[in-house]
Amino acid sequence: MREPSIDAAGTALEPALCRLQVNGETRTCAIPPNTTLLDALRYELGLTGSKQGCDKGDCGACTVVVDDQPVLACISLAFACQGREIVTIEGVAESGRPHPLQDELDLCGGAQCGFCTPGILMSAWALLRANPRPKREEIAHALSGNLCRCTGYTKIFEAVERAAARLPERS
Amino acid sequence: MLTLPAFQWSRPARLGDALAHLAEHGTDSLVVAGGTDAVPNLKHRLHEPRWLLSIAGLGELRFIREQGGAIEIGPLTTLSEIARHPKIAAELKSLARAASLVASPQIRNMGTLGGNLCLDTRCTYYNQTLFWREALGFCLKKSGTVCHVVPQGKRCVAAHSSDVAPVLISLGAEIEIQSAGAVRQVAAEDFFVGDGVHNNVLVPGELVTRVIVPAAARRRAAGYQKLRPRGAIDFPMLSVAFAARIQNHACEEARLVVGALGARPRVIGGLDALVRGRALDDAVAETVAAAAYQQCRPLTNVPYDHDYRHEMVPVFVRRAIREAQEDMARGEGT
Amino acid sequence: MAIPGGRVMPREDRLKPPEWPGGRSGAPHGAFSVIGKRNRKIEGLAKVTGRAIYADDIALPRMLHAKIKRSIHAHARILSIDARDALAMPGVHAVITGRDLPEYFGIIPWTQDEQALCEEKARYVGDAIAAVAADSEYLADEALSRIRVEYEPLPAVTGIDEALAHPEWRVNEKSAEGNLSKHVHLEFGDVDGELGRSDVVIEAEYWYEGSTHAPIEPHCCVADFDATGFLTLYSSTQVAHYLHRDLARVLGLPPQRIRVIQPVVGGAFGGKSEPFSLEFCAARLSMTTGRPVKILYTREEVFYAHRGRHPMRLSYRTGIRRDGTLTGVDARILIDGGAYSSFGLVTTYYSGQLLTAPYRMGAYRFDSTRVFTNKPCCGPKRGHGSVQPRFAFECQIDKLAEAIGRDPIEVRRANFLGENTRTVNGMRVTSNGFLECLEAVENASGWKQKFRRLPYGRGVGVAGSMYISGTNYCIYPNEMPQSGVQIKLDRSGRATVFCGASDIGQGSDSVLAYVVAEELGLDLGDIRVVAADTDLTPVDLGSYSSRETFMVGNACLDAARKLRLLIQQALSERWGCGRDEITLAAGVACSIRDPGRECMSVREAFQVAEARHGTLGSVGWYQSPKLGGDYRGGTIGASPAYSFTAHVAEVDCDLETGFVRVKTLWVAHDCGRALNPVTVEGQMEGSAYMGFAEALMEEQVFKPGTPAHGAGLHHGPSLLDYRIPTSLDTPELHSIIIESIDPEGPYGAKEAGEGPLHPSVPAIANAIYDAIGIRCDALPFHPPRILRQLRSGDPRAAWERARAGVPAGR
Repeated sequence: MREPSIDAAGTALEPALCRLQVNGETRTCAIPPNTTLLDALRYELGLTGSKQGCDKGDCGACTVVVDDQPVLACISLAFACQGREIVTIEGVAESGRPHPLQDELDLCGGAQCGFCTPGILMSAWALLRANPRPKREEIAHALSGNLCRCTGYTKIFEAVERAAARLPERS
Repeated sequence: MLTLPAFQWSRPARLGDALAHLAEHGTDSLVVAGGTDAVPNLKHRLHEPRWLLSIAGLGELRFIREQGGAIEIGPLTTLSEIARHPKIAAELKSLARAASLVASPQIRNMGTLGGNLCLDTRCTYYNQTLFWREALGFCLKKSGTVCHVVPQGKRCVAAHSSDVAPVLISLGAEIEIQSAGAVRQVAAEDFFVGDGVHNNVLVPGELVTRVIVPAAARRRAAGYQKLRPRGAIDFPMLSVAFAARIQNHACEEARLVVGALGARPRVIGGLDALVRGRALDDAVAETVAAAAYQQCRPLTNVPYDHDYRHEMVPVFVRRAIREAQEDMARGEGT
Repeated sequence: MAIPGGRVMPREDRLKPPEWPGGRSGAPHGAFSVIGKRNRKIEGLAKVTGRAIYADDIALPRMLHAKIKRSIHAHARILSIDARDALAMPGVHAVITGRDLPEYFGIIPWTQDEQALCEEKARYVGDAIAAVAADSEYLADEALSRIRVEYEPLPAVTGIDEALAHPEWRVNEKSAEGNLSKHVHLEFGDVDGELGRSDVVIEAEYWYEGSTHAPIEPHCCVADFDATGFLTLYSSTQVAHYLHRDLARVLGLPPQRIRVIQPVVGGAFGGKSEPFSLEFCAARLSMTTGRPVKILYTREEVFYAHRGRHPMRLSYRTGIRRDGTLTGVDARILIDGGAYSSFGLVTTYYSGQLLTAPYRMGAYRFDSTRVFTNKPCCGPKRGHGSVQPRFAFECQIDKLAEAIGRDPIEVRRANFLGENTRTVNGMRVTSNGFLECLEAVENASGWKQKFRRLPYGRGVGVAGSMYISGTNYCIYPNEMPQSGVQIKLDRSGRATVFCGASDIGQGSDSVLAYVVAEELGLDLGDIRVVAADTDLTPVDLGSYSSRETFMVGNACLDAARKLRLLIQQALSERWGCGRDEITLAAGVACSIRDPGRECMSVREAFQVAEARHGTLGSVGWYQSPKLGGDYRGGTIGASPAYSFTAHVAEVDCDLETGFVRVKTLWVAHDCGRALNPVTVEGQMEGSAYMGFAEALMEEQVFKPGTPAHGAGLHHGPSLLDYRIPTSLDTPELHSIIIESIDPEGPYGAKEAGEGPLHPSVPAIANAIYDAIGIRCDALPFHPPRILRQLRSGDPRAAWERARAGVPAGR
């Protein structure tokens, strides 16, 4: 394992140093152990793109990709994510240019209020990295942990399909 | 947002260190693997431990391997790893299916086999915020004295809600448990007890360290069916795991386990007498379904009314058996 | 905010909208270059890259976090509140209670019955009692647990019948009588006579369960009261202007010392269309501490804030003649309002007033009563007040059509209201594309091959509806515009549009940009929209009643055209041609006479115009014409334009489990003109989805009391227990845009955000009947209910009869 053998943080509310690999950078913050990954990203590291919708893992708005897997940042403990590769919505665009998924979500009207969008995007991004040509059913399954209240999902599916068509077949 | 209570944090990298921690702090420490059950429960103040022991760093507990014909799975294996593992998908189909039906993709990526086995029981009066439970006046599972499901009840009937547990019981799996200086192994069926407050045999200091699916369980005719309102996210409101050993088109033995009723998955009794020596056909399915209906008594502990869930027992039993039949038919075809 | 005493009547010409050559519906120069195109939304890329700033993304220096203490009783007198222990905690800065915010507020000026924090009594489980500001949310939570509240529990009213049976258990002291919130009785024509002369009269009772908006973004605000006595409030509201007014009132601050800013809002659907406790509490705590204060609701608190769909019990008697003519409608409606009024006065009217199109009905009577109960307050959810009666009525039509042996689409067609006409209750209807909507879904769904022809278990159903494009009047009576827009042109070639409109994801900011781009020939990227900031933007009433596209669009059209005229004038003088020979399109200004030579960039044209006229800016506003029936309540439901929708639903029912799978919803919607088809389709699909969700699974319900616990506990205030559909549950959605080109809408546009929800529920109910022969008169159509109905009576026989009675595809 990559982390030290024991990283106990003194008393419960005492902030301790937490080192996170986010979007290819090492970021450090001092937080108490009862800090979720989402809180650390949003309130400590200024990465407010990931959203908090339901408090406890029911909606998917906080989805980030950790070691290539979409996970829920609102029920991940920040300290448990040390040593893992975290990608948030801020890390998806390349050299400031929107990723085809971002571009297509916009073009297709896949983002209305936009609040579930970062989570949807991260689930779809991880899907396309693992499966560059997903069928609609596979897209629906991959996004089944991301609640969207605005779109009825149709335009999101369309956007993922169109983004897939723009990306090379092998990721 | 819902805040987390304060706790001290320990994340050992070796099993020995974890067991040592538990030996010292066992009663004050909450074990967290993927966190998908524990963290929401912490936010609800269902647990307020002094210590949080994160076992996510114990790489030695994350494996899927063959050992003398048995398939052994480490408790830190994630549910998505189980769902897509080629050997499990091919030979322990009902287990792969159960793992693939847990909650949502993200939760399957985080949640582990051990975590799903040790899932806290669930109840509509329990899995609520501290504020809500205060307004309720609490319940006997946590902070209160009354059961709101069974008004005069003295024992908690919160529902066992694991998807994989009924399947592991149906397959005759064994569970290895370790504590500092001791190892024991129990049948999956005996891992659970009928007490909603704490529904398994783990005592403070112990960890699940291995799940062993015996060689005999491989390529059983098996099925898993789950009742839930939505196609994802929801916990089971009823779950049915079926597994049968078929020899020369006749059942040699069969197991049927119904979950999400009470604190312990219910193993339907008397099944062998109903199926032994008979072909696994619709008539047998009907008989088995009727027996299950007789033996199951859903409560109002989870959503949907209990009458409806009772009515669904035979339906889902038939479907689980049909799944096993189809699986078998495909297997014979190849 | 005080309105000048008496009625200050505007001059006649102020109320007359400018007249433009070619009217409002046409393109400025022949063909449209922006309008009607599948454009991006202007904030879209910010949203998909995570850069859009929502309220909870705002953090100010020295900001405190506040939490609200809530009542654990559904109904209780507050005897005492002891916050000493909480205040003594290090890191806790202030605690406030009802005494700190005693002023009553409420969105409707005549029914202000809420306090930010309850002073005397709590009226539902979750009603706000006290608020605490601390260094962190964690500390604020800890402090809440140390505030001791002593209650005297009172009998709780949990439903309509109880509210009426026990007027002495008075929920809301501001009610005129008992637990009555509002009663409306209106009658148009000879209802009893018409019903008496009908060949068939069907009487049925319907139950529409309550549901809530569940936007993915929880309510959040940040208040910042500075040393000069100026309050800035960032809030996830959809009505910045009304919030501004109520803040002034409740906080006792002059309105000109308050600035309300709406950041990007993460969904609202009506759930953020009035002020809430959090805004007043954060502001007051900021005033007390002199520091910025944030309040972010937990998901549970969002369920308590509610203002969602009212539960309604609707009794309908509806008549039809053998020739298919609808005759009379007699409706009795009981409405469960929850603890406060909210928009309830309007809801009660809407429960009847919005039913009278798209069909002609001979005579119509409705009697609606809204009651107070000890539950979170209901209010406006997408399709406010009219989704429930629409469900009942469209099911009635289905039953009547069956009774006379006619295809339900034909019956709807036969009763088409028409265009440029009036409804029985005096509403002016102009453009009306309902027939085209019906035809579109009939064809797209393969209706004639499916209706009464699919095997048992599968079926199709149809329903229609109408909805308003904004209401006739402001919520508080005044003679000022409903919507104002200012445009500033810069020498650089940029236009900045200022408007109070509230984009909640539906795209109203983009509508402003599309209009300006179309009129001034600008690229969308050259336009900045500054919206919903009460310091910077002229008033728009906000995002409710589907008013933004119509009203804001019109205001913007006028402001932009005024500027276009100035530019055209300057260029015509330079080139010596006629003003109307100048075009502005695709970044280029030129004359049509000699576009090769008489041509410059729009930027240069701005400069020429600025040199000619001075600094360039303009204003436009919208005020609807006087509309509505000449009777008390006759303006409620009056709108300058109505949208029309038809749905066909196809379902597949699992006979063993009672699960209904909605396979497909075909949605045809008359939106006048689609300013951007992508966003219109998005509204149609999102509406259909939300209706489908209400039909099959959503219910905001509460536990009755037992000997062991009190009444009024929410069944499960979380997105786990309040189940909104996932990507695997949602039907295939096919949207078909119908453009009737409204004479008064901007470029002919009407609403698309709420209308398309209405037919979802009855279309699904009617499809279930076609599939399995059971009538779903109570929502939601969840599996236990369907299975119960399947097992009672003989649905298969009803299904056989229906099939024999109606020649399919006739």
